[in-house]
Amino acid sequence: MQPFDYYRPDGYKQAFGLLSDPDKTAVAIAGGTDVIPLTRDRHLQPDLVVDIKGLPGMRDLGLNSIEPCCGPGTGECLYVGAAVTMNELARSDVVQGSWPILADAAAAMGNEQIRNRATIGGNIGTASPAADSAPALYVLEACVLVKGLSGDRSIPIDRFFIGPRRHALKRGEIIAGLLVPRLPAGAIGHHEKLSRRKAGDLSIVSVAVLALPSDGHVDWRVALGAVAPTPVRAPQAEAALAKGHDAEHIDLAAAAAYGCSRPIADIRSGVEYRQAMIVNLVRRSVQSVVNRLPQA
Amino acid sequence: MLHEITLTVNGDPYVVAVRSHHTLLQVLREQLGITSPKRGCENGECGACTVIMDGLPVSSCMVLAAEADGANIETAEGLAEEGDLHPLQQAFLDHNAIQCGFCTPGMLMSSKALLDRTPHPSEDEIRHALVGNLCRCTGYVRIVDAVQDVAKES
Amino acid sequence: MATNTPSPVGKSVPRVDGYEKVTGAAKYVDDMAFGPGLLYGRLVLSPIAHGLIKSIDVSEALALPGVKAVVTGQDNPTRLGLYLKDRYIFAYDRVRYVGETVAGVVAISEEIAEHGAELVRVEYEELPTVFDPLAGAQPDAPLIHPDLGSYEVANFIFPEPGTNKSEHFRLRKGNVEAAWARCEAIVEGTYTLPQIQHAPIETHIAVARWDPSGELTVWAASQSPFAQRDLLAQSLGVPHGNVRVISPYIGGGFGGKAGISIEANVALMAKAVQGRPVKVRMTREEEFITTNVRQSLIANYKIGCDADGNLLAMEVAYYFGGGAYNDYGVNIARAAGYSCTGPYDVANVKGDSYCVYTNHPIGSAMRGFGMPEIHWGIEQIMDQLAAHIGMDPAEFRRRNCVRHNDIILTGMTMPNVNLPACIDKVADAIGWDREARPSAPGKHRGKGIAIMWKAPAMPPNPGSSSIVRFNEDASVNVYVGGQEIGQGAFTVAAQMAAEALGVPYEWVKVSANPVDTKYSPYEWQTVASRLTWSMGNAVKAAAEDAREKILETVAAYWDEDLDDLDIKNGVVVSYKSEREQPLKKMVIYGLPNENFEGWQGGPVVGSGKFMPTYVTGLDPETGQGTRAVVHYTVGAQAVDLEVDEDTGAIEILKIASAYDVGKAINPDLVLTQIEGGAVHGMSSAFEGLRFDEKGRPINGSFVDYKIATSLDAPREIHGDIVETPLEDGPWGARGVGEHVMVQTAPAIANALYNATGIRFTDLPLSAEKIFLAMHPDGVELTCELPEVL
Repeated sequence: MQPFDYYRPDGYKQAFGLLSDPDKTAVAIAGGTDVIPLTRDRHLQPDLVVDIKGLPGMRDLGLNSIEPCCGPGTGECLYVGAAVTMNELARSDVVQGSWPILADAAAAMGNEQIRNRATIGGNIGTASPAADSAPALYVLEACVLVKGLSGDRSIPIDRFFIGPRRHALKRGEIIAGLLVPRLPAGAIGHHEKLSRRKAGDLSIVSVAVLALPSDGHVDWRVALGAVAPTPVRAPQAEAALAKGHDAEHIDLAAAAAYGCSRPIADIRSGVEYRQAMIVNLVRRSVQSVVNRLPQA
Repeated sequence: MLHEITLTVNGDPYVVAVRSHHTLLQVLREQLGITSPKRGCENGECGACTVIMDGLPVSSCMVLAAEADGANIETAEGLAEEGDLHPLQQAFLDHNAIQCGFCTPGMLMSSKALLDRTPHPSEDEIRHALVGNLCRCTGYVRIVDAVQDVAKES
Repeated sequence: MATNTPSPVGKSVPRVDGYEKVTGAAKYVDDMAFGPGLLYGRLVLSPIAHGLIKSIDVSEALALPGVKAVVTGQDNPTRLGLYLKDRYIFAYDRVRYVGETVAGVVAISEEIAEHGAELVRVEYEELPTVFDPLAGAQPDAPLIHPDLGSYEVANFIFPEPGTNKSEHFRLRKGNVEAAWARCEAIVEGTYTLPQIQHAPIETHIAVARWDPSGELTVWAASQSPFAQRDLLAQSLGVPHGNVRVISPYIGGGFGGKAGISIEANVALMAKAVQGRPVKVRMTREEEFITTNVRQSLIANYKIGCDADGNLLAMEVAYYFGGGAYNDYGVNIARAAGYSCTGPYDVANVKGDSYCVYTNHPIGSAMRGFGMPEIHWGIEQIMDQLAAHIGMDPAEFRRRNCVRHNDIILTGMTMPNVNLPACIDKVADAIGWDREARPSAPGKHRGKGIAIMWKAPAMPPNPGSSSIVRFNEDASVNVYVGGQEIGQGAFTVAAQMAAEALGVPYEWVKVSANPVDTKYSPYEWQTVASRLTWSMGNAVKAAAEDAREKILETVAAYWDEDLDDLDIKNGVVVSYKSEREQPLKKMVIYGLPNENFEGWQGGPVVGSGKFMPTYVTGLDPETGQGTRAVVHYTVGAQAVDLEVDEDTGAIEILKIASAYDVGKAINPDLVLTQIEGGAVHGMSSAFEGLRFDEKGRPINGSFVDYKIATSLDAPREIHGDIVETPLEDGPWGARGVGEHVMVQTAPAIANALYNATGIRFTDLPLSAEKIFLAMHPDGVELTCELPEVL
């Protein structure tokens, strides 16, 4: 790699200062699993690399009472510090117990060695439309907590991603963590990732489905990754499922899921296959959830 | 920029001056003469550089040396104790799980980390744990056999 | 663990290199220490696929502090090559593929060398490109090597100057035109495959030091240290005795580290900084495109059989995409030509095998050397013909496969091998006659079978040699020039030496790490699956020579006949007098006469060589000759797989393999080759280098060039060993290292056909391709929800 300077700031203020230096290209590093390859390939040419994973709260993972930004306070939700690794997320008892879809999504990323370094903050911070954690975070309606020179703010996850590799952070801002709302009892989810190989590969299509049964009906949330410029919810699919989840409605939902995505051809897949996989994966994922819904 | 870091490697405490942009892999190989972690892809894909860092298997090509300040590192050189091979090393020999040997140190460290965490993994769990360790020679058959063997014995 | 294994041949003794490799002690070139004076090199690569070099400005690079030298093609405009000298060390006046080496920067650190390489300014004038070998073979195609006619070429290669064809091998046997009329069924097909890369976990690497005295030393991960010495001496104008190539353990070769690739570049870079060692290690991305790849192929087949299913005629045309330089490629096209029928007995054959220049990476030796490429189509077209006449594919192969004493396509008599036994074993292991049901709804299950053959593709006179000597405690050092690339060459060398000498396996050390052209005995190359056979014969001869010398001394000492003596378990015994003489000490010091009136014997050194003497030339018009090749190894594979209807994903459930190795010197090592080969073969069916319309690689890294992982490998791999002794093999042994992956891809394709009814003629396979073929009408999509909702 070409030379750069490495700093480990001892507080957020120093971090902001380093990251917003007008004369230097500064990049934040946590897990390094994007920064290092990109720097090695010369896509990034930083003057300095700012190690933020040791900042206060960055590695916290657990229940929290901070009022989430995307809805009225519902009691304890999950706080995930931005520097929590994908394996920590995948293996956490708390996450597996109450937000298993997020644990599954984290476990589907990369390989064991990468998951021990890659962080959730880095995963959304790179803002790839194929970000492994994104579909799960979308159906969980998480929000992103951001710290910056002008103060703290929170961004709902579906407004955090604004385009391929583009996010809503301003210069000098750092992702501090994510808040994931508590799910109502009886929520059932399914995460599925299709890639060229069984593991260790980027997505062709990824799907997250969440069913929230309440008062005799079911609210559905469906999100897709790698099929549009950003991860997306699938409102037409959700609308179809709101009317019912028998085979006919599942088929309609699967077919409709395609409608809100704009799949492209890339090195991993052509357009036609990607379109077909959206339909098939949504169908399979919804069916998997339906099979686990308590019978009326 | 130079950083003075402390690094415990296979039980030995080192104090090394490292440059900001040098990886843990580079420092182990070129400054400490620990050559079992290999350069394979330097992109986190092949696992030939796998070491155990603070109990977790990582690709050392994806860790800046400066980030490893204070860390406890285990490599294949440290597996044998007083001339006795680690059960995994013995199992790799007994099962002929080695051909060219280039992936072997990384395979051993990933396998050890797996067994430390999950003493009796299923075949599926073993294969999942080794996804990040590419082997072009063996087809993985004997490697999986060796890990299963050690898991059974323990 | 055993400490005394007499007669180790045929036993699965532990590998001699295992301990070093599990403890991390094994050193590869990148692990070798050259001290703080080591310099680092970085290659400047062409960004375009075809063009003239108008200018190279190295001034900015040279001005960068820490850069010691920059080397270009102007510094040594000599061409090199084993069979066809068509390549300059660094591009001289034009570049012919993206990734070609144009300059080399030497600096005090890798990062300065990398930065320096970015500062070398090259101006190109682009030329029209050729990417398709069929198009490249047409008379009006742009010429990639206009000077083809002036290149030095081996006398068994026939380039066509004024074209892009660097080799044309013709095979004419019998009369195909007349035979078609007698065929009950005829099928035709075109099969294609892209370039793929060896992807060894250790990339190409070399360190060179050019002493002011004129001695050049190269440390390289090399399957061919002696061939490299030869090529370096020739192309650099240095006497052979002043060139030294040293190669320690190799982290995977698969043919990619055979011949020569970057070693001459590094030598020239070292010459520019005389006295200091220079290291160049290919990055993974450079490895994919700059070094070597397997050739692409467009293959046309036409085959016909009679009503009973006997093959009558076969016509093939092979267009190998040889890449920008075809030195090795021409021999691959030739080998594909003289084996172009695959392992079948066909009386009437018309074969044309072409190597064609394309503006792509260098097509070179890769495990199988043309055989995987041609079997992709052969093994599927045979299935097609069998289906045409309603015959079971395994039965069709039993009926038509080559057998001992058949006159094969070159007119050679087929040596003794047992292919039907291999077919029987894999059919049995895969449950060929049992219908296998899919494991779940939405899955399609199928089985496929494929057979293969391959001969070592070598010039007629490739030699092996070996030396055997002793230490005071009667431990033995065996010297060989063959390389340990993971296949177990050192281990079987030790076994064979021990067996031929009469000492326990554990007494033998193989002194070949590193192979060093200054000290090691000559070995042609570690390629062609030839070491067990050829190096083995040399080791056996050397050991027998040493044994003979020992017995002569003891016979004189005891005043007995040589024929009554033997060495058993490290002790000389007389069957007549039952006297015993341990080897300890006498192998160095000899034996004293009575009353110490003089001594006899002395340090025992045995030497041996092997070189085949019977390979003949082939007629350039017909490919006929008495003995085209030394021998063939044959084998069969069967595959059981399932396809997921929803995604097109394949799950390989089981691969069963059987190979006739003549004699398994180390049975377990043969099985490990079978296992590794099955997975490598399987992986190769899903691999393919991809280029954009300008010839730039788009998947030249592990991110997008995926090789099989532990999860992709099938859970069940079954291997069987068949042993029909090879007449001139040591204990009857033949090689198997390449054969184990030759026919896996077509076996998978045949199983896919069985599962889906779809014939896939073009590699690579992928879930996407399979899904789209299974669903030609697409999948129902909608952007609007119907009113009913």
